[in-house]
Amino acid sequence: MSNLLLGAQEPTVQLTSQTRIIAAVLAVVFMLMILELIRQDRLQERYSIVWFVAGLSMLVGAAFPGLLSVIADALGVRDTNVALFSMVLLFLLALALNFSVIMSRQAAQITRLAQERAIEAARKQAAQESNGKRGSSTVAGDTAQRDES
Amino acid sequence: MRTLVFIPAWNEEAAVADVIEGIRGRMPDVDVLVVDDGSTDATATRARAAGALVASLPFNQGLGAALQTGYLYALRGGYEYCAHLDADGQHPPAEVVRLLEEVYADRADLVIGSRYSDPGRAESDDYRPTLSRRIGIGVFRFFLTLATRQRFTDTTSGMRAANRGVMELFSKHYSPDFAEIESLQLAVRQGLRVEEIPVRMLDRLGGTSFLTPLRSAFFIFKGLIVLLVGMFRPRVPASVGAHGVSADDAIEAGPPKEEGMEQ
Repeated sequence: MSNLLLGAQEPTVQLTSQTRIIAAVLAVVFMLMILELIRQDRLQERYSIVWFVAGLSMLVGAAFPGLLSVIADALGVRDTNVALFSMVLLFLLALALNFSVIMSRQAAQITRLAQERAIEAARKQAAQESNGKRGSSTVAGDTAQRDES
Repeated sequence: MRTLVFIPAWNEEAAVADVIEGIRGRMPDVDVLVVDDGSTDATATRARAAGALVASLPFNQGLGAALQTGYLYALRGGYEYCAHLDADGQHPPAEVVRLLEEVYADRADLVIGSRYSDPGRAESDDYRPTLSRRIGIGVFRFFLTLATRQRFTDTTSGMRAANRGVMELFSKHYSPDFAEIESLQLAVRQGLRVEEIPVRMLDRLGGTSFLTPLRSAFFIFKGLIVLLVGMFRPRVPASVGAHGVSADDAIEAGPPKEEGMEQ
């Protein structure tokens, strides 16, 4: 009981070898998955880099647990696992934000594309009305937008 | 004076033809464009039958994107002035004429039609909003005044008239999420002359308002964020697109509209 209260004297909690092996295997499987996704054209290279970095970090962390302890010490966290969780969480948060930025850009691009298409069709209609039925604009244009072949 | 009057419309088949005819009756010389914002009803067909040009967005993009489409069309088409009004029949075309006269006379770059004749009151003889709406109106009015240091009474009015300076600005920068308020803030920040004049508005002809209490709350919250962010936006973003998309190239590439299209 006194051990719990005097936490400062407790030894640092390290990763077990079992954890390290599982992490290493997962990292390798993860990177193979990324490769496969790229091969199938389901993931673009530019979006895969960050995932490779994540997989490699996982592998490095599993191979050299001393690194994690150093980081945990620097953060003032006694439990290496907690330091690991915190870092992964921050990484995912940053990634999610990055995706929101990408999504916003693509939304803006899609909007502009839709606007261009709409304007193009309206211009076509305007040109047809001024060419074909000058003066009787009420008749023209019923099919103006549909027959743009 | 080449003028474009455009009408953003989303599923407004019931009212859109009447609105177009109203405009044609009052302003025979203007071109009328309906920006069909991905309607799933007969809005586009009825608009075309009523003699308007129709720019159909392939899917619903929101009011901001629809309005921007109108401004972009006006800019590309070489129109000197443009105006827009709602498709639901709340905005009498006669009042749009009054707005346009203000920009014709070069008394302002952007003119807003306000449904409040008396700036101090949140309601008028013609128009009595619900409580949640009154709160929203008050909040927006307060913060927009704070942000622009100019008094606006009807911050969400969708009846406006503008000249080419405004077209250029709005075709590049227009929030898809919060069309009315942010655009006002943006215009004032860019040093454009924005003026509000009292207009008479009517009850809607068809369709229903999209505002429920929950939506209103979300609407207000979103509006406040937009205003807050807007205060810290760069003031002269001439070369940078607001959302990473620049309309510059496309605008230059667009050929001027042929003559003889006014009638």
